[in-house]
Amino acid sequence: MTAARRGLVGFPVAFAALATLSLYRETMGFPLFYLTLLGTMLFWTAQATSWNILSGYSGYFSFGQAAFVGTGAYATAVLYGRHQVNFYVTVLAAAALCAVLALVVGGLAFRLRSLRGEIFALLTLAVPFILSALAHLNSAIDGGQGIIVALPPFPAGLGGAQDYLYLVSLVVAVAAVWAAYAIQHSRFGWALAAIRDAEDVAEGLGVATFRYKMLAIVVSAVIGGVSGSIFALQIGFVAVTGVFNLTVPLFVIVMSVLGGRTHWLGPVVGAVFVTLLQDRLTSSGLADWRLIVLGGVLAVLVVLAPEGLYGRLRAGPWRALAAFAVVTLGLRVADAFGEVLDWILIGAFAAVVVAVLPGRTVRRDRTAERQPADEKPQEEKPPEQEQADAPVGDVLVECTDVARYFGGVRALDGVTLRIGAGELVGLVGPNGSGKTTLVSLVSGTMRPTRGTIRIAGRDIAGLPPHRVAHAGVARTYQVPRPFESMTVRDNVAVAIMFGREPCSLPRARVAADRHIGFVGLAPLAAARPTALNLHQRQLLEMARALATNPKVLFLDEALAGLTPAEIDNAVEVVRRIQRGGTAIVIVEHLLRVVNQLATRIVVLDKGTCLADGEPRTVLRDPAVVRAYLGKRAHA
Amino acid sequence: MDTLQAGLTGVLAGGLYALMAAGLSITWGVLRIINLIHFGLILLGAYLTFQLASSWGIDPILTLVITVPALFAAAAAVQWTFDRLRISELSSLLISFGLLIVIVQAVGNLWSADFRQLTAAANPYATRSVSAFGLVFPLPTLLAFAAAVVLIGGAHVALRRTFTGRALRAFAQDRAIAAAFGIDHRRIGVLVAGAAGATAAAAGMLFAMSNALTPATAFEWFGTVFAVVILGGIGHLLGTLVAGLLVGAIGAVVTVLLSPSAEPFVLFSTIVLVLLLRPQGLFARGGTR
Repeated sequence: MTAARRGLVGFPVAFAALATLSLYRETMGFPLFYLTLLGTMLFWTAQATSWNILSGYSGYFSFGQAAFVGTGAYATAVLYGRHQVNFYVTVLAAAALCAVLALVVGGLAFRLRSLRGEIFALLTLAVPFILSALAHLNSAIDGGQGIIVALPPFPAGLGGAQDYLYLVSLVVAVAAVWAAYAIQHSRFGWALAAIRDAEDVAEGLGVATFRYKMLAIVVSAVIGGVSGSIFALQIGFVAVTGVFNLTVPLFVIVMSVLGGRTHWLGPVVGAVFVTLLQDRLTSSGLADWRLIVLGGVLAVLVVLAPEGLYGRLRAGPWRALAAFAVVTLGLRVADAFGEVLDWILIGAFAAVVVAVLPGRTVRRDRTAERQPADEKPQEEKPPEQEQADAPVGDVLVECTDVARYFGGVRALDGVTLRIGAGELVGLVGPNGSGKTTLVSLVSGTMRPTRGTIRIAGRDIAGLPPHRVAHAGVARTYQVPRPFESMTVRDNVAVAIMFGREPCSLPRARVAADRHIGFVGLAPLAAARPTALNLHQRQLLEMARALATNPKVLFLDEALAGLTPAEIDNAVEVVRRIQRGGTAIVIVEHLLRVVNQLATRIVVLDKGTCLADGEPRTVLRDPAVVRAYLGKRAHA
Repeated sequence: MDTLQAGLTGVLAGGLYALMAAGLSITWGVLRIINLIHFGLILLGAYLTFQLASSWGIDPILTLVITVPALFAAAAAVQWTFDRLRISELSSLLISFGLLIVIVQAVGNLWSADFRQLTAAANPYATRSVSAFGLVFPLPTLLAFAAAVVLIGGAHVALRRTFTGRALRAFAQDRAIAAAFGIDHRRIGVLVAGAAGATAAAAGMLFAMSNALTPATAFEWFGTVFAVVILGGIGHLLGTLVAGLLVGAIGAVVTVLLSPSAEPFVLFSTIVLVLLLRPQGLFARGGTR
């Protein structure tokens, strides 16, 4: 069954089961108190899920969840509570307002060149403060006092007010979790995962990172705002301090970190557990300790189980379930203290301890071991190369007088260079000669200070790197940077999914296997990058770059640190790629390798082009010998 | 005249922001730890000063004899733990956020969430003021300003002149190479964090001298202090001092000309602008300090 179909069955079933609790509450003798608690869990499930879609999936931690809760709650409170607009219309208004807010925040933050995770976190921390200051400042918004929000009229068949609130929260929570589920199983989710693992690598492979981050923050904001709008009904009285406060981000972060940030179920697990814990602490007269416990849990968890409970529980579900059942039933039989919820909570604690305890619960990559060892590359011809498009001789890369300065340092100073289709160019030069800078300029991650770069006739000035990738430039990194959370196959599949011709995951996986076979990594297709040695990681880099179907491929010191046998193997792979018609620029220190492979050598020294031509002539050039060996050696 | 008086008082009051921000800035810049606990330590410093001065009748300034070593030790212990656990920059933000909430709630449980203020008897400085050129400056504000200039300026000089200071700057620029030259990162880290803790004690004392205390104040400092850190350039001490005075002046002038609640709005807009236009801070010339 596909993920989409599983979702179509699973979510309605879950919804129906939870709705039954309210609709047939009296028939089943389900206490109202439990229903209220479930309603609180549903609110936090929606909020934590909202946070997770942005921060968990993409890795950009937000401290600004209260901004969405507050904006949503205020939209409903002002429009419905003060101006008697239809309640359901105000829910839409809340969603729209939050979406606008998200576009502003995301548009500012994600455009920052210097944006790092920590700066994003601090910026989002500021947003609720600004909004609450605005609400304070402009007392026309809430009349300065706060707003009372009564329940809207609802069909009598739904039962009492609590039932109505519960059902509305249920709809929102199920919709939110379903959205998280759908995102995780779509191209969108894979894009976010790639951003989380290695953002600039993803961009270089063709993922439109800015667009996906904006999309994530908007989806997160809409869910947060709608849920906040319902929250206004739940609390019945909306004032600045009630909705824009720091416990909201604390709660959602603890819940998602506790449950697991990379999976849609993580925040659900976290929300249920934390809400139950909070409720039990309050009813045991320890309300003062609630935040202390929660803050402590966050600090300890980040250290002990940063990947969250869900992954641990899934690795050993039966042991955890057994621990839960034994402890809960044991307490039930003993009946020494407390009530059902206490027993469940303590049982859940036992399950958590069993799951988090180090040792056998850590799941190994069994799939990788089961594969037969097949060292032979499966195909000679690279898949889907556009040989016809690129007859030898066409100019693919054309740099004209390109310069790049870093402050006073001239990393590149007026380099003019042409690379034709089907060429295998060696780009050599001593350390600091500007080789890597040139690669970054051509792949669009850096802008030249001066000069123009054309790829296949098209000026790339102003193009974001993912568009440059679509234009036909791919690169590998000197230090391999795979997406660590994905298997080898999915690493390559991501490059295909977001290539020039976008496609879905199943099709991309099939195509990925061909590329993996091509570089000789087929036996490791299901392994995680951590299981690979340096040589294999470099081959993965090449497979991933090839999967974007490039016209020209830059290999940045792809052979550094390899053993002689590995170098021979890598050289063989590079030859095979070239035979497929892709132009290759190989950046290397090792003159032996370049001499052996390249049809042409370009020598950079101190940011300028020292020599360019046939390997034999270039390597005898006195200027080149001087740059490499010093003056005296030449003399 | 009112605006001038407000602006100058703001500049002086900005010294306190600078003092609060300096510790945060240096741990972020040098140790790559975003230590939100720093706000908790300032809060603790303020409450300890309040408690010692009210119940034992110690002069507020003399309470530093107790609070400085205490907070030095606390901050150093936290840094030692972070270092042992190899905490990344983002994790440090999460962990210290959790611990800050713990501290604030614990302070609330111990001293209650109500406002607490030093009585006039325990705090002889509160009511005194100095007047010059027709302008009046409260003594606590002047003290805060002086402390900021002396401590931050002193730290700046120490960084440039002393052996440890130079080791620290080397460490901030390239850890691996500094380690290869025999710089013990653990000792330096604990020392820097401890020093930051000591400034938290001073900042807390100065805050308690002129303000009523409530646990939630710790969160109210967030915005202003991070504004100072980012405006001044992360890890850039003199920049932090200037940014603190600037932020104080902006805040005071906005309060007079517009309204007190417009202050955070103006501040955060400034931060966003600075991040957009000069991400390395207003005064840093690229690189570290």
